Amino acid sequence: MSDSSISSRLSPRARWPIFIGMCLVAATIIYPLFFVVATSLRSNVDYKRDPFGIPKEWTFDNYLKLWNEYGVGRAFMNSLFVSLTAVTLILVFATLAGYALAKLPVFGAKFFTTTFVSVMLIPGPVLIIPIYLVLARLGMVGDYSGLILVYVATGLPFAIFFSTLSFRAIPDELLEAARVDGAGFFRTYWSIVRPLGTSAIATLAVLQFLGTWNELIYSLILIQDSKMKLLTPTLASIGKRFLTDQPLTSAGLFITAMVPLLMLTFASKYIMRGLQVGLGR
Amino acid sequence: MMRQSKLIGTLAVLPSFIIVAGFMAFPIIFVLFISLTKTNGLTFEWLWFKNYLELFADPIVHEVFLNNFKFVISVPLVIFAALVSAVLLFEQFKGWKFFRVIFFLPSVLSVVVIGLIFKNAFGYYGSVNQFLGLFGNEPKQFFINSNYSIFIIILALVWSGFGYQSLLLLAGLTSINPAVFEAAAIDGAGWWRRLWSITLPNIRRVLGFVFIINFIYTFSSLFGFIFVITAGGPLYETTTIDYLVYLRAFSSSNLGSGAALAVVLYFFIGLLTLWQSRVFKLQMED
Repeated sequence: MSDSSISSRLSPRARWPIFIGMCLVAATIIYPLFFVVATSLRSNVDYKRDPFGIPKEWTFDNYLKLWNEYGVGRAFMNSLFVSLTAVTLILVFATLAGYALAKLPVFGAKFFTTTFVSVMLIPGPVLIIPIYLVLARLGMVGDYSGLILVYVATGLPFAIFFSTLSFRAIPDELLEAARVDGAGFFRTYWSIVRPLGTSAIATLAVLQFLGTWNELIYSLILIQDSKMKLLTPTLASIGKRFLTDQPLTSAGLFITAMVPLLMLTFASKYIMRGLQVGLGR
Repeated sequence: MMRQSKLIGTLAVLPSFIIVAGFMAFPIIFVLFISLTKTNGLTFEWLWFKNYLELFADPIVHEVFLNNFKFVISVPLVIFAALVSAVLLFEQFKGWKFFRVIFFLPSVLSVVVIGLIFKNAFGYYGSVNQFLGLFGNEPKQFFINSNYSIFIIILALVWSGFGYQSLLLLAGLTSINPAVFEAAAIDGAGWWRRLWSITLPNIRRVLGFVFIINFIYTFSSLFGFIFVITAGGPLYETTTIDYLVYLRAFSSSNLGSGAALAVVLYFFIGLLTLWQSRVFKLQMED
């Protein structure tokens, strides 16, 4: 920050109240999360004795019980599998399409772009009935293939929009040079577009992963088999079943929240960048 | 050569297009068809507009629509909280980047997680009751009263939503030319005066955008919160349109009725979007 721009802001003395105010707001976010973690590490008896106090003893029992007996471990793995598969497919399809729309001549490019942009505006709840019926007709209800396909379809429009925008920044000279050297489509895609677009691709990967990991409605209606259930529906039913056992539910909350929180810790740069572009979503 | 590369380019777009057309574009047409029939998913009986007429006459639908409008109270609250934090973050005091990430934190969590945090906190054995108990109050069953329930869901919406919105507003603030602020400071305009005459007018487009996406959000994306926190109850008192679509779709024998409701929602949101571009004269980025 240069001096001149500081002069148009508040004086350092006036900043102190702001800082303290912001700390208070931050506390309203941090404290509930801290409370969840602290509660998850104690027994229900201990919690009911004194919810706000220091636990008498710390225990991992809630986590072990959830993970092994209530199917949370399996659901966690199922969610991981479905999310990773969906994100990989989205990245492959979206970068191919994005590269083509950004840099190559395409028949009916305008038509494709219009389709992708206009379906982005469709509100989610409108699609659940027809998608369910289409998948039922194809015999894909109760099967990960159907669920993954839905995640890919709903994730793709934004992913294509985002990668088209990002890949436009790749200099034409580089692509031209590659063409002169005899590199074909896939060679250029892999050796030039992919490395130059790494940051955009990472941003997309993080955003799409968060979206699929946190998704509730399709994972709820498309997967009925309890062994195949994903994490969010499993957590929702645990929350309903164990109303009076808050430590147990809290452990489930932390297991589910852990993955997004880790991503925010290590990839906040990508998340912030992606959301600025995602403004149009 | 040109023709060949055009073919390759088209082939690269095609897989994405087929998936999006099959699972987003086609379903939109299909839902229109379903809404004009009585169906269990296997047989379709053509009804013309009977489902719609029944919907418009259905007192539950009226009640649910009204419920959605109650949730609209969350919109100014979220925006106010977001605006205050954006304006303060824009001062770029020490550690503002850290605060930005903290405020954003609830946005990466699943609605199931956020919903259960609030359901637990306001539950009979929850921390709110325990806290009120410290002052000698009897524990309350908050969720048997729909006014409390709606208040709690609105609180959850504000808590989880303001961080993301403040990021959007902050992006708007950052794009104001700093010279404008400096000129005003030189002319002797104080901080409040600058806030009122420069900062706010300059981000009114972003504000308009944030306003409308929040408005649309309260009509289309409350499913998770409702499902986890109240399951729409007591009776239909906290049911929203998107939750009713789910209820009608998966617990009644006529999918057509749910589809008609979805179509009405679609057109309603379409109108909102049109209104957005009219009133706020926003240009979507291409």
